[in-house]
Amino acid sequence: MEKQDKALVVPGEAESFDREDAPVRPSRKAASRRKAAWDNSLRIGSIVAIFFIWWILSLIFPPTLIPKPWETLAEAGAIISTGNFFVEIGNTLRRVLVGFGLAMAVSIPLGILMGTLRRMESFFEPPVILGLTMPGLIWAVLMIMFFGLTETSAYAAVAITIFPMLTISIWQGTKSIDKDLIDMSNVFQATPVMKIVEVILPQLISHILAAIRYGLGLAWKVVVVVEMFGFSNGVGYQVVRGFNVFSMKTVLAWALTFLIVMILIEFGLIGWFERSVTRWRPRVEAWRR
Amino acid sequence: MAYIHVDRAVKFFPREDGTEMLVLDGVSFDSKAYGITCLLGPSGCGKSTLLNVISGLERLDRGRVEIISNHRDTGARPPKLGYVFQDPRLLSWKRVEDNLIFALKGMKVPPSEWQERVHKYLDLVGLLEFRKQYPLYLSGGMRQRIGLARGLVVQPEVLLMDEPYSKLDQLTARKLREDTLSICALLKQTTLLVTHDVEEAAYMGDRIVVMSARPARVVDIFDNPFSALERNLDDVHFIEFKKKVLQTVLNLVKEEV
Ligand SMILES: Nc1ncnc2c1ncn2[C@@H]1O[C@H](COP(=O)(O)OP(=O)(O)OP(=O)(O)O)[C@@H](O)[C@H]1O
Ligand SMILES: [Mg+2]
Repeated sequence: MEKQDKALVVPGEAESFDREDAPVRPSRKAASRRKAAWDNSLRIGSIVAIFFIWWILSLIFPPTLIPKPWETLAEAGAIISTGNFFVEIGNTLRRVLVGFGLAMAVSIPLGILMGTLRRMESFFEPPVILGLTMPGLIWAVLMIMFFGLTETSAYAAVAITIFPMLTISIWQGTKSIDKDLIDMSNVFQATPVMKIVEVILPQLISHILAAIRYGLGLAWKVVVVVEMFGFSNGVGYQVVRGFNVFSMKTVLAWALTFLIVMILIEFGLIGWFERSVTRWRPRVEAWRR
Repeated sequence: MAYIHVDRAVKFFPREDGTEMLVLDGVSFDSKAYGITCLLGPSGCGKSTLLNVISGLERLDRGRVEIISNHRDTGARPPKLGYVFQDPRLLSWKRVEDNLIFALKGMKVPPSEWQERVHKYLDLVGLLEFRKQYPLYLSGGMRQRIGLARGLVVQPEVLLMDEPYSKLDQLTARKLREDTLSICALLKQTTLLVTHDVEEAAYMGDRIVVMSARPARVVDIFDNPFSALERNLDDVHFIEFKKKVLQTVLNLVKEEV
């Protein structure tokens, strides 16, 4: 229908009219609300689809192997309503965030140095590439043997495991920054701090965001392993407990609750961060005709 | 007093196949001090390269480029330099006004002066109402004007401008040329302006340096017989002068063919 209406208008013009005139028209708000509604229904739709597939599987397999989704959800609800849920999640989350923060604090400067200085690149390339192939499980074992069953071993295992991946992402991103802008900042005598904060980091924002997402995902996988080895709290410990009594429901329920926390972080915190640092960038509409 | 002294400048660029390409072939000239010197030459001859050398972004293979300045003006420090790039080179993640502030901050202009200067030069290029906008939401000509404002806002002693009006319509370009002339005179700037346009060169330049196609050599140097205030695009004598410059450029093209 719409296509027919527009048939006489040059597509490009119709588009730019839509966009540039919009800020002064109140309908702009309605349009963006409609778009947001679409986005949200797609997100919810994909989650519903996952539960649907789960439900189909639970019809095929016995409940000890694949419990019904709502029973798992009920179990998750029961877990949440007991007080210690937040303590357990808090413990795991703290380990994830501290390890992740440590890795970020090293990766961003190191990645920028590797991307901008030939010598740093030559020197750090081998350990970073090698580190990438080292399984998180081995780091977890090594750190526990080294630090014992302390918080430090959890932080260290997380940080070391995700650090190579974060560094590679920032390093490769730095190599693709715009030389002309660096030239510009040199002409206007920008200080090294200005160059890093105002010229280089903003160009790395997509790489940093991708690194945050991968990094958090990987960090949580490692933390669970560390906790399984003998910590007496945290999500990993609770999962082991579920495993010991062979209760698939408990294992899935704990995994699910933590997943929910991570989704909240992803769509709440990281989503907000992304929106606020990429406002300068018009949205790419590659497939619109 | 500051002027640019270019002495037998030679510059090679490596080609893709590993051989060297000669870009500047012994370019020599002195710019006007306190005035505008226009570089006129065909596309690809090496004008931007020369500005990059002067600004310190590129090195010469032979010869010398110097900014000779009178120490009474600047003390021991090198004279302040502003550059209006051929492509605007804006920081897309900074609002228009923050792009200018970036340059002011880099050039150590005291923060108390920032607002006033940003206001003045954005108004000059007619973009004051867009000061809070991000560059990617502006037109090509508007971005070019921001680049121009950023070069001017630092009020440099030496200003390098690489085709700053090339993307603008006749009227806007004419107004900005006049404004640039009066600013350069007021601030006693030494300006090097790259252009393709003979009329622009004759109108803006106190001195016009005509360069050949690559490898660039200086073909001729004209000193403008009219002072900045006397130049009138319709005046017969001014048109005579313009024709003389144009003839030199045309001869150059003929030689090529
Ligand atoms: N970084 C570089 N590496 C290799 N070759 C280059 C480089 N920069 C410029 N060149 C070459 O040097 C020559 C002169 O380039 P330059 O940009 O100085 O030309 P120009 O006179 O400014 O041209 P225009 O008027 O089109 O802007 C060109 O032939 C270009 O191919
Ligand atoms: Mg050029």
